[in-house]
Amino acid sequence: MSDAAGGPLRLEDVSVGYGRTPVLSHLDIGPVAPGSLVAVVGSNAVGKSTLLKAIAGLRPATGGIRLGDTDLARLPLAKRVRLVGYLSQSLPQPTSLVAYEAVTSAFRAVRGDLSADEVERRVEEVFAALGLRGLALRRLSEMSGGQRQMVGLAQVLVRKPPLLLLDEPTSALDLRWQLNVLETVRGITRGENAICLIAIHDVNLALRFCDAVIVLGGGGVLAAGAPEDVMTPDLLRRAYGIEGRVERCSRGFPIVLSDRALSV
Amino acid sequence: MTISGDEATRAPAVASDTQTGLSRQYARFIAVRVAILVVLLVVVALSFLADVATGTSSLTVGDILRGLVAPEALSRSQAVILWDVRLPYAAMAVLVGAALGLAGAEMQTVLNNPLASPFTLGVSAAAMLGASVVIVFNVLPAWLDQNYGVALGAFVFAVGATMLIQGLSRLYGATVDTVVLFGIAMVFVLNALVALIQFVADADALQQVVFWNMGSLTRATWGKIAIVAGVLALCLPASMMHVWAMTALRGGEDHARSFGIPVERLRLLVMLRVSLLAAAAVCFVGTIGFVGLVGPHIARLALGEDHRFYLPGAALAGALVLSLASIASKVLVPGLILPVGIVTSLVGIPLFMALILTQRRRA
Repeated sequence: MSDAAGGPLRLEDVSVGYGRTPVLSHLDIGPVAPGSLVAVVGSNAVGKSTLLKAIAGLRPATGGIRLGDTDLARLPLAKRVRLVGYLSQSLPQPTSLVAYEAVTSAFRAVRGDLSADEVERRVEEVFAALGLRGLALRRLSEMSGGQRQMVGLAQVLVRKPPLLLLDEPTSALDLRWQLNVLETVRGITRGENAICLIAIHDVNLALRFCDAVIVLGGGGVLAAGAPEDVMTPDLLRRAYGIEGRVERCSRGFPIVLSDRALSV
Repeated sequence: MTISGDEATRAPAVASDTQTGLSRQYARFIAVRVAILVVLLVVVALSFLADVATGTSSLTVGDILRGLVAPEALSRSQAVILWDVRLPYAAMAVLVGAALGLAGAEMQTVLNNPLASPFTLGVSAAAMLGASVVIVFNVLPAWLDQNYGVALGAFVFAVGATMLIQGLSRLYGATVDTVVLFGIAMVFVLNALVALIQFVADADALQQVVFWNMGSLTRATWGKIAIVAGVLALCLPASMMHVWAMTALRGGEDHARSFGIPVERLRLLVMLRVSLLAAAAVCFVGTIGFVGLVGPHIARLALGEDHRFYLPGAALAGALVLSLASIASKVLVPGLILPVGIVTSLVGIPLFMALILTQRRRA
């Protein structure tokens, strides 16, 4: 079970931007039920990262962001991070910390209330879940970008928040690790009854692993719902400016085939 | 619209029985670091003894140990040499080195810059300006001892410069880059002001200013040592309170912020502490470069960046470097004690380059 009580996620009339430039206006999302893995997709600079940062409290936003009965928007950051685990798009720096220290320090810096044994147990658990035991005592400066991305993910997952916000968690990973990460995240989301929003460029990964897709475009939500309902040629045209098809592969997943970019 | 997971396909929870011996492996890893810290401590103690034993008049290690336990066992002149000259210089070297090493380590972490140190960000230059103002314009009340007056001027300017950098960079967004940029700008402005004061100073004052700038341990007295020790005793435990947040900060500001670490507040707090440490260190001994830069690099190579080990390690490494420099300042030119600031720069630069190149080769 997660460390703190969650509940469905609901965004009401949320607006967020940079300075005077609005990025997303009057957004309504949800309710997203606990146990859901939800992909946030859309073209470049459409506001995927901005949305996740706004929910995490790292970008000022107006409107209501509720998790169960809790109004996240009114929660001070120190309390908000108990409920929300946000993974930044940037990779952890290649420092001389070893992975075990990076994960432990991230956890202990904000959870002084847990015993050292409890911290150890949770860190071991997350290294095992992500298949990272072999890297635990290696310095981040001696790791590849993909390995550091995994350490960043471990730093977030170790906290077991009821709401996970992962910004491009697979951008630096090879095919095997992409599958590994998405399977692990899906397992945790369901096992812990958490909600996970994942900003992702690879639409086919999103369709295959996620329970629902939120498509952003034009400063708002273009479509949201079950992957097979949402992803249509018309949506591909509106969201990405491409001509494409949505077909079913032999195993039954919907697959997006992009045919050509429409002229801008 | 409602979004929900598919109940039927729910996977079992991640297994919690994952006792893999990882924490046992890590415990062994930690034991090595503790051992390195202990070795470093012993080496600092040995260097301190060697520093006390080094000088023009001969005092054997036996004399020193006897004199430490029972001062009356020594002749009067030997006791004076030991207690009023050798011990204060050696103690000041260790304390100032530790303060500069710790200050440099904390600065490098909160500014995310391995080249940050009290020297490169204007603390030393500001102390120099403060000392010059007091020496040349004689602005302090007559009852204040000249020695402490100069130190007070240096201290006030050093703390003031850090506050100014913090204040300015807060106005412009308080990112790491703005702090470093203002720090570098500050070094140039302060150096220019020092030059201006030297230009108008009379010959006597000019000589004092130049000598102050060289950085020397020969100004050490027990009163000053008590002050530096007090500041260090205050700051080191305060630093150790933030070790987890500081360690987490090494992964990057974005990440630290998302864990709930108040990065800006932490940086301000650490910079204030660092300015106190560095100002207390340089105000009594003058400009001593490179210790604040080299100490943290040695600690990082030997101990990694878990700040539970890195911070005390940087303090010990700084203490060792300045203690060794103090010995070198006495033996390089027989019969003469060179200003230690000259030695740290001359010995420090090749040492620093060697460290950087070793790190490069590793990476």
